[in-house]
Amino acid sequence: MARSTRKVSAIVWLRRCIQTLCLLLFFYLFLQTAYHPINRTGGPVALFFELDPLVLAATWLAGAPVPLTLLFSLGTLGVSIFFGRWFCGWVCPLGTLHQMMTQVRGGTTASRLNRAVYSPRQRWKYLVLIGLLAGTLTGLNLIGWVDPFSLLYRSLATAIFPAFNLGSHALFAWLYESDPGLGSMRVTRVSEPVYEVLRRYLLVEGRPQYYWGILIGLVFGGILVLNLWRHRFWCRYICPLGALLGLAGKNPLLRLKKDQEACNDCRLCVAVCPAGANPDGPSDRSDAWKPAECFFCWNCESVCPKQAISFEFAVPSREHS
Amino acid sequence: MTDLSRRVFLKQVALAGAGLQAGLLSPGLASASTAPKMSIAKYRTSPAESEGVAEEAARLTRQVIKDLGGMSRFVSKGDVVWVKPNIAWDRTPEQAGNTNPDVVATVIRMCYEAGAKQVMVGDNPCNAAERTYPNSRIQPAGEKAGARVVQLDKRKFKKMALNGKALKDWEMYTDMMEVDTFINVPIAKHHGLAGATLGMKNLMGVCGGSRNRFHQDLTNVLPDLAAFVKPKLIILDGIRVLPVNGPRGGNLDDVKRKDTMVAGVDQVAIDAFGATLLGMEPKKIAHIVEAANRGLGTMDYTSLSPAESLV
Amino acid sequence: MKKWSDNVMWRWLLSFFRPGKGPRINLGRRNVLTAGALGVGAACLCRVHPQASGRVFNPALIRPPGAVDEQEFLSRCIRCGECMKVCPTNAIQPAGLEAGIKGMWTPVLNMNVGYCEFDCTLCGQVCPTDAIRELPLEEKQKIKIGQSFVDKNRCLPYASARPCIVCEEHCPTPTKAIWVEEIEVTNASGQKVLVQQPHVDPELCVGCGICQNKCPIKDQSGIYVTSVGETRNSENQMLL
Repeated sequence: MARSTRKVSAIVWLRRCIQTLCLLLFFYLFLQTAYHPINRTGGPVALFFELDPLVLAATWLAGAPVPLTLLFSLGTLGVSIFFGRWFCGWVCPLGTLHQMMTQVRGGTTASRLNRAVYSPRQRWKYLVLIGLLAGTLTGLNLIGWVDPFSLLYRSLATAIFPAFNLGSHALFAWLYESDPGLGSMRVTRVSEPVYEVLRRYLLVEGRPQYYWGILIGLVFGGILVLNLWRHRFWCRYICPLGALLGLAGKNPLLRLKKDQEACNDCRLCVAVCPAGANPDGPSDRSDAWKPAECFFCWNCESVCPKQAISFEFAVPSREHS
Repeated sequence: MTDLSRRVFLKQVALAGAGLQAGLLSPGLASASTAPKMSIAKYRTSPAESEGVAEEAARLTRQVIKDLGGMSRFVSKGDVVWVKPNIAWDRTPEQAGNTNPDVVATVIRMCYEAGAKQVMVGDNPCNAAERTYPNSRIQPAGEKAGARVVQLDKRKFKKMALNGKALKDWEMYTDMMEVDTFINVPIAKHHGLAGATLGMKNLMGVCGGSRNRFHQDLTNVLPDLAAFVKPKLIILDGIRVLPVNGPRGGNLDDVKRKDTMVAGVDQVAIDAFGATLLGMEPKKIAHIVEAANRGLGTMDYTSLSPAESLV
Repeated sequence: MKKWSDNVMWRWLLSFFRPGKGPRINLGRRNVLTAGALGVGAACLCRVHPQASGRVFNPALIRPPGAVDEQEFLSRCIRCGECMKVCPTNAIQPAGLEAGIKGMWTPVLNMNVGYCEFDCTLCGQVCPTDAIRELPLEEKQKIKIGQSFVDKNRCLPYASARPCIVCEEHCPTPTKAIWVEEIEVTNASGQKVLVQQPHVDPELCVGCGICQNKCPIKDQSGIYVTSVGETRNSENQMLL
C-alpha cells in the first residue's frame, strides 16, 4: 500500500472487498465441508476447484473422463482472454493471502522497488506449467501439488485448521482446569459461553489430526514468508494457474495506458505493483507493461500522483511488438 | 485428574438427606415407602409406524410414571435433571438401536412439569455424536421439549473412584454425576457378549476413556457402574426392541414390537423384566445375577408387585 | 465517420492472428524443451517403482470407497484434501510413500486413526475430479476397500483366554462379517472358560476398519485391515 496522501481509488476498494469476500467464501466452504445430517455437506464445497481451469486441464490431459462440473472453469479461461489475469487480482484466495502478506512489510518506495520490480525469472512459472503438463500427458500428474487451490485447501485441512482447532480446545480446557480469576470474577464466566458458541459454529469436536500435517503447514508458511522477499512470490514465480491464465490473457482487451508526458518517473506505480508487470514501462519498448503478468489490481492507477496511468479498452498498436 | 469420589459421595448423601427431609415435610412423599417400586404399561394396539408410535410412546411414558406416583416423586422444584437415553448408534428410531425419541421428549416434559429448573440430555455414544444425535431424532425431539441437548465435552470427564470389583477408578462425566436427578432411559436390545443391554449397560454412556476394555469383565463392570451411578429413576423403552443382532442392529426385520414400557427404582428388577421382553431368562444374564447377588436389587420383579396398566 | 474496421473488438480479434506482431511471452526455446523433458523424464522414472504396474500391492494403500483403479486414481487426484477434511472419523490421511513418491499426499485410510463410516458417502460427494466417485449409499455399502484379518497372536480371546468381541459388536454390515465361535479354553489359572473367538467372513467384510479402530489393544490391533480384496482392483484379490 502506498504511503501517499492521495486517497485510494474506488476501484481498489472494490477489488479489496471482492478479494476479501472470495477469501471468506473459500473459508466458509471449507468449514461447510463436514457432515451435515443426513449424509451431506453444507453446500457446493468444491466450488473453487470447479472454477479452476488448471484442474480441468490436468484431468483432461491425464486421459480421465472430465466431470461436467469442471467445465465451469472454461468461463474463468474465457474471461481471462478479455481481461487477463483478473482472477489472480480479484478472486484467487491464495493470491489474496499473498497480497496481505506482501503488505506486512512496508518501507520506503526505494526499498519496495527491489521487491516489486519485474524479474525475468517470472518466466519460471510458465516452465513449471509446461513441465507439469508434459508430465501429466505422459502419466505423472503432479499438478495437485502445485495448483494454488489444492495447496491452500490441503494446507488448511491438514495443518492450519487442525492447529487452530486443537489449540482452541486446549486453551479452553486449560481455562476450565485452572479456573483463573479474582474472587467471584472468574474468567470461565466469559470463556465458557464463548466456547459454546465456538463449538457450535467453528470448532470440530472430533479434533482431526493428520500425518504430514506439520510438513504441509511448514511448506505453506514458508511460501507465505517468501512474500516478504518478493511481492507475491508464488504468484509471480511458481503458480501454474497464474501461468495458464497469463498465457490465455496475454493479449487482453483491457490495457494499461501511460501518458508519457505526465509521468515524472517517481516509480511509485512499480513499488506498489504486486505482479511485477512493469506499469511504468513506456508502451513502445521491450520493457513495456506486461499484460501476461498484470493482475489488473489498479494499484498503479490509484497511486500515481500525476494520474498518468489509466486502463482502457484498446488493442496493441501496430508499432510495438 | 481429580479424585471426585468424595464430592459425589457427599452429593449423594446430601440427596439422601434431602429425600428424608422432604419425606417428613410433604405428606405425598411421606408414603414413599409404600409407593410402587416398579410399574409396567402395555399398549392395547400396535400402531403403524411413526405417527402412531409417537403417540403411543408419549402415553405409555406418562402412564408408567404416573403409576409410580408421578414425576414429582423424583424431581423436585428447582432441580437440575440429566436424562440419559441411549444415543449410542447412528440409527433411526425405527431400527431400535437407540431410545425412542418421543419417550425421551415426554420424560423431559414431565420433568419440567414437576418444576425442574433445567433438563439436560446427553450420552457418550459409540458412533460420532454429530451423527447419532440428529439421526436418532433424539436431538430435535429433546430440543423441542425444551431440554438442553449436550454433546459431551471432553474436558468434563474426570477420574472418579468407583471402588468396584472390576473398576477401581474410571473417567466419568462430571455433569452427569453432579445433577440433582439422574434418569436412566435405556432401550431393550440383545448384546452378543452381555446377553442383553438394558439399564445397567446403558450406564456405560456416563463413562469416558477406553470403554472397549470393559468387555473383558462385563459381569462385574456393569454392577460396579450401577452401584456407583445409582440412577434415581429408570425408564425402559420396550416399544421397539431388538431381540437379535444387537446392540447395533440395522436390519428392520430384526426389530420386534413389544409396545411395553417399564419404570422403577430397582435397577436389577427393571433389567430382569427387560430380559423377558427379549425372550431371555434373567438368570442366564451374568451381570443381572451378579448385581442381584451384590444386593443392588432383586431379580424377582414380581415380588415388587409392579403396578400394571393397559393403555 | 468511423470505419467498422476501426472498431476495438474487431481489431482486438484480428490482433490474435497477426504473425510476429502479437504479444509474446519470451520463454526461450531451450527452457521450454528442458521443462518438457523434465516432466516426461520424471514420468518415465516413476514407472520404475514395482507398485507402478500392479506387480505388487501395498497392504496399507487403502483408498476411500468409490476410488477408481489406482493408475487412474493417481492421474485424477489433485491432492486437494477435500476428502480428508470431510471424512467424519478423520480416517482419510495424506499418504506418505504407500503409493510411491508420486502418490504423496493422496488420500489413504488409516484405520488406527478412524474408520470408514458405513452410512457415509461424503468423500465421493466432495471430490472435484471424481477420483473418488460419488455413489448412492446402497452401492457404496457393497464396495470392499480392503479385508480385515484377526491377529490370533494378539486378539484377547485367542491369545489370553479373555472375553471381548468388541469387533463383532461394531461390525456394520447387514449380516455381520465377523462371526464368533464359542470355544472352551484354559485360562492362566488353569480353569476352563468359555470365550467367543472372532472370525471374519471375507465375502461379507467390506474393509471399513471399525473393528481395527475399536479393538482394545490400542497400539497394534488384534484385528486389522489390509488392501487385498478391494473391489476397484481386479488384481489385488485373494478369493476365488
